[in-house]
Amino acid sequence: MLEVISKETGNKEMVINMGPQHPSTHGVLRLELVLDGEIITKVRPNIGYLHRCFEKYAEQMDDYAKVIPYTDRMDYVSAINQEHGYVIALERMLELEVPERVEYIRVIMAEMQRIASHLLGIGAFGLDLGAFSPFLYLFTEREKILDIFERVTGARLLYNYFAVAGLMRDVHPEFKTDTAEFVKTFRPKIKELNDLLSYNKIFIKRTANIGVLPEKVALNYAASGPVLRGSGVEWDLRKNDPYSIYDKFDFEIPVGTGEVGTLGDCWDRYMVRVKEMEQSLRIIEQALDGMPDEGDVMEAIPKRIRPKEGEIYVRTETPRGELGYYIISDKSASPFRVKARAPSFVHLSMLPAISKGSLIADMVAIVGSIDIVLGEVDR
Amino acid sequence: MLNAVKQSWLTFRSIFTGMGVTIRHFFGPTVTLQYPDEKMELPKGARARLYVNIDDCIGCNLCARACPVNCIDIETVASTQDVDLGKTSTGNPKRFWLTRFDIDMAKCMYCDLCVHPCPTNCIYMVSEYEYSEYDRSNLVYHFSNLEPEMVAEVKDKAEKEAEQKKREREEMMRKKAEEKAQKELEAKKKAEEESNDKEKGEE
Repeated sequence: MLEVISKETGNKEMVINMGPQHPSTHGVLRLELVLDGEIITKVRPNIGYLHRCFEKYAEQMDDYAKVIPYTDRMDYVSAINQEHGYVIALERMLELEVPERVEYIRVIMAEMQRIASHLLGIGAFGLDLGAFSPFLYLFTEREKILDIFERVTGARLLYNYFAVAGLMRDVHPEFKTDTAEFVKTFRPKIKELNDLLSYNKIFIKRTANIGVLPEKVALNYAASGPVLRGSGVEWDLRKNDPYSIYDKFDFEIPVGTGEVGTLGDCWDRYMVRVKEMEQSLRIIEQALDGMPDEGDVMEAIPKRIRPKEGEIYVRTETPRGELGYYIISDKSASPFRVKARAPSFVHLSMLPAISKGSLIADMVAIVGSIDIVLGEVDR
Repeated sequence: MLNAVKQSWLTFRSIFTGMGVTIRHFFGPTVTLQYPDEKMELPKGARARLYVNIDDCIGCNLCARACPVNCIDIETVASTQDVDLGKTSTGNPKRFWLTRFDIDMAKCMYCDLCVHPCPTNCIYMVSEYEYSEYDRSNLVYHFSNLEPEMVAEVKDKAEKEAEQKKREREEMMRKKAEEKAQKELEAKKKAEEESNDKEKGEE
């Protein structure tokens, strides 16, 4: 190892390790940085510190339903969205009808989780760049979402709330008013965030024109979600390949504009997330209006989940991008194979391409702006 | 020159707008709680600890089978004929002594999957969350209310009954076999006689 490094560097460059316990790597990620002075010439991400054999576990379980709590633990910041993809995959395999009320509750929960995830992503991004207050203020808002989730599901982080063709329990009677109240109080907070962080000159200086990801590179690396949209590509699976009942709602896809710097820089990726929260609020409002008050959320849950022999690939839009589940069934009680296509993993792989030539201090901004969760990278 | 002035003005403005936000928050209400002194009330249905109402348990093992991490350990012994264990509050008859019902909360992942299959709703999550321990083995909760002597007695009884039943069954089997053999013998005799008759007739 040491020999390889010294050969590579030829005594002129220096190799330093960023992580695995670095506070701004958002988990346990080790980045091997090859530096020429303060300029990064090479980045090698080292992953696997949080590997928990999700895919192998899924094969060992003797029930498809037992895999759902494990999907929560992939991306623990947006657990609801991870479950959503998995249950949709199973529903399509079993050709089940999902009750309308269940679909509406699912969409509301998924969009709330998207906001919660973005709040954490944005807050931690600001924290990485030295802005401490936004992190605290955003967490106050995130707490409100988690409080609603706790009343609905009973848990604050790992919910295990979605079941195949149903939900584990019904929402409480005040769910609608609680959520509507949150939507009302949260709208002004986005403006406050823009005042505090988005258009702050120091923040712009640290993020504009840094970590530029051109459209072509983004497409070649199969980027998705806010990272791809930050580069100006209008691609959102909720619109382009609608699942659940997303085709019923009216919302826009925010894309990067290069407003303060170059198109596809860190600020664009950040701003896409901020604008996405507004769109999520719009979806929640429409879903609250359309949600039926009556209906049993547990009646359609099958007793035994035994899909026919075959395979399926289902992709959904999580806060981090396209999450795909590839499930093969061999007619037994447990899946023959479950493969998760994690967006964070894909985005991490393009880190070497976008960080070459930037300063070492900007590395923190780049890692923060692609918003990776290491639980999902390693699985 | 003009641009530099404009830029510095924008910088100052953005910083002071941000500071305005912080000052507003400074005079706003507090959002944190001083935890050990003040406590937040958990909502109804919060999943913080598994609890078993052992009086209602019928020992069906469904929760243990539903658990993805195998944190529930149940051992049951069939009740003997002379004891009636009664019924649960939901009306299901109890047929097993629960000699062991352990839940390892160190392993539990609070997924709620064991709660739903229970036919008598006797296993459920409660909102008690302050149960940290210095030793991990203290997190294994024993829900069975039988004394060790009672467990031994019950097991002994069940074994004896099982043995007796086995003996009875064997006795029955033997009797049946004897009867069968007798019948076969008779049938053989009959057949022989018949064939003899036939032979005679042919002659």
